[in-house]
This record gives sequence, structure tokens and C-alpha cells, in this order.
Amino acid sequence: MFDALHTPDNVLIVGGSSEIGLEIAKQLARRGSSKFLLAGRSLEEMQGAARQISQVSEQAAASVSVIHYDVLAEGATESLLAAAKAELETIDMAVIAVGALGNQATDEKDPGAAERIIEVNFSKLAPAVLAIANQMATQGFGHVVVLSSVAGVRVRRSNFIYGSAKAGMDGFATALADAMIPSGVKVTVVRPGFVATRMTAHLSPAPLSTTASRVAADTLRAADRGKVTVWVPPLMAVVATVYRHLPRAIARRIPF
Amino acid sequence: MHGVCALERTELLTGWGRTQPVVANLVELNGTPASPEIFVRPGTIARGLGRAYGDAAQIGGGRVVTQPDDVSSSTLQDGVLSAGGGVSLDSILSSYVPRGWFVPVTPGTRYVSVGGAIAADIHGKNHHLEGTFSNHVESFDLLTPVGEKRVSRDGDPDLFWATAGGMGLTGVITRASFKMIPVESAYMKVETRRLENLDELMATMVGSDHKFRYSVAWIDCLARGRSMGRSVLTRGDHARLADLGGAIAGDPLHYQARPVASAPPWLPGGLLNTASVRLFNEMWFRKAPRLREDEIQKIPTFFHPLDGVAGWNRIYGPRGFLQYQFVLPDGEEEALRRILEQIASAQVPSFLAVLKRFGAANPGLLSFPRPGWTLALDIPVGSPRLFGLLERLDRLVLEASGRLYLAKDSRAKAETIAAMYPRLGELAAIKAKVDPEGLIKSDLSRRLGIL
Repeated sequence: MFDALHTPDNVLIVGGSSEIGLEIAKQLARRGSSKFLLAGRSLEEMQGAARQISQVSEQAAASVSVIHYDVLAEGATESLLAAAKAELETIDMAVIAVGALGNQATDEKDPGAAERIIEVNFSKLAPAVLAIANQMATQGFGHVVVLSSVAGVRVRRSNFIYGSAKAGMDGFATALADAMIPSGVKVTVVRPGFVATRMTAHLSPAPLSTTASRVAADTLRAADRGKVTVWVPPLMAVVATVYRHLPRAIARRIPF
Repeated sequence: MHGVCALERTELLTGWGRTQPVVANLVELNGTPASPEIFVRPGTIARGLGRAYGDAAQIGGGRVVTQPDDVSSSTLQDGVLSAGGGVSLDSILSSYVPRGWFVPVTPGTRYVSVGGAIAADIHGKNHHLEGTFSNHVESFDLLTPVGEKRVSRDGDPDLFWATAGGMGLTGVITRASFKMIPVESAYMKVETRRLENLDELMATMVGSDHKFRYSVAWIDCLARGRSMGRSVLTRGDHARLADLGGAIAGDPLHYQARPVASAPPWLPGGLLNTASVRLFNEMWFRKAPRLREDEIQKIPTFFHPLDGVAGWNRIYGPRGFLQYQFVLPDGEEEALRRILEQIASAQVPSFLAVLKRFGAANPGLLSFPRPGWTLALDIPVGSPRLFGLLERLDRLVLEASGRLYLAKDSRAKAETIAAMYPRLGELAAIKAKVDPEGLIKSDLSRRLGIL
């Protein structure tokens, strides 16, 4: 259940070892969320995350469980939903922090690798998000938070495989927000710029780069207000809008 | 289905605070004998007029049972009114005040149902002398998953006092009989006093509340320092024929109550902020007389001023608001002072915060009132400081052996409520007898882990 301040009791983090997912979970635990289920590929990393989440609040330690989940595996989402029902009873909030950046330069030459990036970020992920939202619709409430990316706003030469998948997911999730209104389920799509995390550690930061904790705080503030989209940092909204309308000849020459 | 109207629809529901919307399946009972089959998984809960502030009368993904506001099926005999569970105090007052009868207890709104009045065990300005609504109830009909039965105060006290204040968790109250009070007029004789601070207010209430049937104080929660607790105390009783003069004496039981305005649905958030509420509070305080006695007021002016604006809850904007109401036992005045200090220093923009004295408690397992002080304040949702502030207030209330009112609650933690209501276990045992499969649930009961 949610309380009046929109703090969920039971939270599912899909992509359970994601740093942004972990930050969101920690901030929710600080506010009083009591049960978490982390779903992801690395049990070891998730157990580390689980320890951090349960240590956030001294008065009432949150209970955190972990489950192996690979969005590419057959039947994975069905088992995840069954586990969520057993562990959480109701999925009040689901944070979708699944993503893989890939390596544009080599993936371009390997359509199989490109396919996996598109599956992880969009074509297999979107049906999973739909299944979670539909389960929430039977509860009559719920909030899906989808981590999108500025990369999907205008797909760029430098990472068009990841970018196009994110563009697909962003469009899917924002329209899902509209579709879910009659069912009482809310969807918030987060569009961070460059976030300094493990996933991007090998890259040099782009302008307006931000941190996982900042993304988490802005995400939850937007979710509290029931906003469908949120840019982090907020200025990114302006930059992205300008960038989207740049003539192609100019956009092509921008290095990031 | 037998006893259930064809009217069955899916609807987005919230409490009066508009904070936790959920979609549920709404079913209206049509007055013929209702069937226990209305109780279904994942849960079923009764709903009256939706005036509980939080999530007490809703269950996401479940079934919400409503009843018609049909006062024509009510009967009055020897001062005892028998009315359907969905009948509103508004309808009762409109029908019976002109005949010289008033409800035994009314809260600050007349838009509550008889069923809701019992389930939330509502109190009014006369609690210090006359107790809660349930104190005046002789019996009610309770529809449960094992059937419908008449529950009387003397015949089945366990189920009676589990249901009175039980937030609908023992079943659906389909009809109730309660004592009305005779009145000579539809007017009130009112004394209004302005008090400069909390000490003055508390001394006045302790000293002379017993002389007035009705008493309540409005407090300016933004005032700090020496004027902390500055307030306007209004007390009174039903006017007698001899109190009336002029034109109204010719038609003393003339009663008309309807909203004079309506809050539009599109109001933005943020209208009630610290600045606007400070201005309102200042004006409200200044316009009150230092002392005015024997003023004749209409019933709605005295009891239900906010009902004058239909949908006033919308002025808090789309994010809604919550109400924080607690009671502290006598002797915990210092705790009350500390709580008011916290509220004032956090500059929570709360207008119309009210303080009142409670009299004796009743045996209701979850009934809220107990002897002492109760403070209720509306707080708009929005300030990020709210989380911490309300948690701190919870701790102060708990340490002072106080408790929160479930009909107002929309955010307390399960542990907090369990500590405040030690008899939850007894309620669970009684409920298990009438609801062995655990079909009666609300979002409130799920959030607080009750049962």
C-alpha cells in the first residue's frame, strides 16, 4: 500500500544490482518502505545491495529478498511475478532499472550482439513492464518507474543501437502511462543524462552529468507528484529539446 | 446476485484527503435482504460517504459496498431512530430537525452515513459530556460473511464493541437504531471567546466546558512564542424557544442546510501555503470577539461551517492533504505543548486546527476517544519536511500514551498503531468468528497490518 505521502510499502527493483535502483531503494527505505524484492542477474551484487538497504533505517530494518532474473530468459517474468506476489503480496512500486550499454563500435559489426542490446533495453523488457503493470491493474493501484535515458530522445550516431532501444522503451512507457490511467496504475519515465555509475565508468562524462543519488531523489519527487516524465538534471529537458530539433548536418558533428 | 443491485461498476476511489487513489469494484446494496455472498476476495469493505481522510473505506482491486441514502425508510419511535446504514446525517437532520429531533452526535460534517458514524465511532463537540455516536446506539444489523444478524449493545457486547469504532472490519452495518435528542428549535445559543495563548485556552476549557453541551476551539497553529495556542473557543447548546426573538421565533424549527458554493475541480496545488494560511488565521483570530454571549446561530453555522463549500477538499490541489488527529490523556499537557511547538516551528500551513476535550471512553476496542485533549489539523501534502515531522509527532504522541484516530489516518506505521491500540488482538479474535476466511479488508487494514 501507499501512504498519503506516496511512500510504498512493498517495492520491486528489476535490475536489482543497478546503482540507480539501489539508490532509489535506499531512499525509499529511509522514508519507511518496509519490503523489497531485488530481481537481477548477479545474486552476489544483489546481496550486497540488500545489506545496504536493510541497514538504512535504524528503527525499522526493511526486509529485502533477492531473486535471480534475466529478462532474456524464457518465462523469467512469469516466475518473477509469482515470486513478487509471494514475497510482497502487492507490488506497490516497481522500479525498472534494467539496461545494457553494449559497445557501439563492436556491436555495429555484430548484429547478434546488437540484437541482445535491443532485447535487454526494449524488445524483451517492454513486455516484462507490461506484465508488471497489468498485475498492478488487478490490484487497482501501483506505480511503475521506468529508467529511460536522454540517449533515447534523439538517437545519435555514436550509440544508435542502445539509443534506439531506449527510444522505443521511452515511447512505450510514456504511452503506457496514459493507457494505465483508468486502472489506477501510474507510470513515471525518468530521463537522466550521463550518470556516473559502473555502467559508464569507462566513458568520459558528458556535460550535465549527474549521480545515481541525484537521479533517485529527483525520480521519487516526480513520482510523489504523479509526473509521467522527469529529466535529471531538469536543465536536460531544455538541452534535449534543442538537440532534438538541430539540423541533422549539425547534430552529426556533435561529439557525444 | 440476491440483494445486490445490478449497479456494479469500477471506480477510482480515494478518501476525503484525495491522497491514495485506487480502482475498486463498487457494489450498491439495494435495500432488500443482502447476501453474505457480497464478500469476495481479495477483500471487501463498506463505504459510506467517503469522509474518512485516508484509506479506510476503499480496497484496491477488491469490492467496495455502498448503500443508498434513503431516509424515507427510517422510523422514529420513542425518540429512537431506526435508519439504513447508508443514510446520511444530512438527510436525517433535514427530515427530523423540523419535527424537533437532533442527532445525538454530529462531527464537523453532516455528510457522514449512519454506518460510517458507528464504524469510525465518531465524536462531536459534545463528547466531553455525551460520548461518541456509538454511545447512543442501541443495536445495528450487521452483514457478515456468515450471515446478517442484529447486534445489540446488551445482547452481543463483544461484537457490538468490536464493530463500534472497528472501521468496518467486522462487516457492513445495514441498519442501526439510536437515540435522538429532542430540541425546541433549529438554532444554537453560542458563546464565543478569544484566548490569547494555550494556557488561557486550556484553563478556560478545563474550568467551564462542563457548563456547555458543545465546545470546540480553533487554534492558530502558526502562532509561536507567547501567542502559541491563541484560539477562538465556541461553546453552546440548542436554543430554547425562550432564547429566540424576532422573526425566527415564529418558525423555530425551520431548518435548511445546503452548500452555498462549490470548489471547482481544477484548482491547482499550493493555494494553501504558509503565507495564505497565516493571513487567514490572522483574520479569523482578529474578527473573533474577545467575548460574545448568547448569540443565536443556525445549526449549520455552528456545527458544519465547511459543508457550506461543496468539495472543499479540492482547495488542497491535486496532491491532496492529510489530517493529523491525536488524543493525549489528561496530565499530558506538556506533551501537547511540545507537539504544538513542533508544528509551529515547522510552519505547517494548517488552517482550522481544532482542539477539544474528550470525556469518558467507551468499551469500543478501536474506539478513538479517551479522556483528555484531542487536536486535529489539516496538512497539505507537498512539503518534503512532512515525513520527519509526522514521525516525530507520532513518537511524542506515543510517549505521552496518546493515540491517533484511524478515520483520519493515512500514513502511520503498523508498529505505531499496534502500540497505540493494544486491543487489536481481541478484535481479530471476534472478527474471526464472523469472517473466518478473512474476506473483510480495507487498504487501511492492509497498510496497518490489522488482522
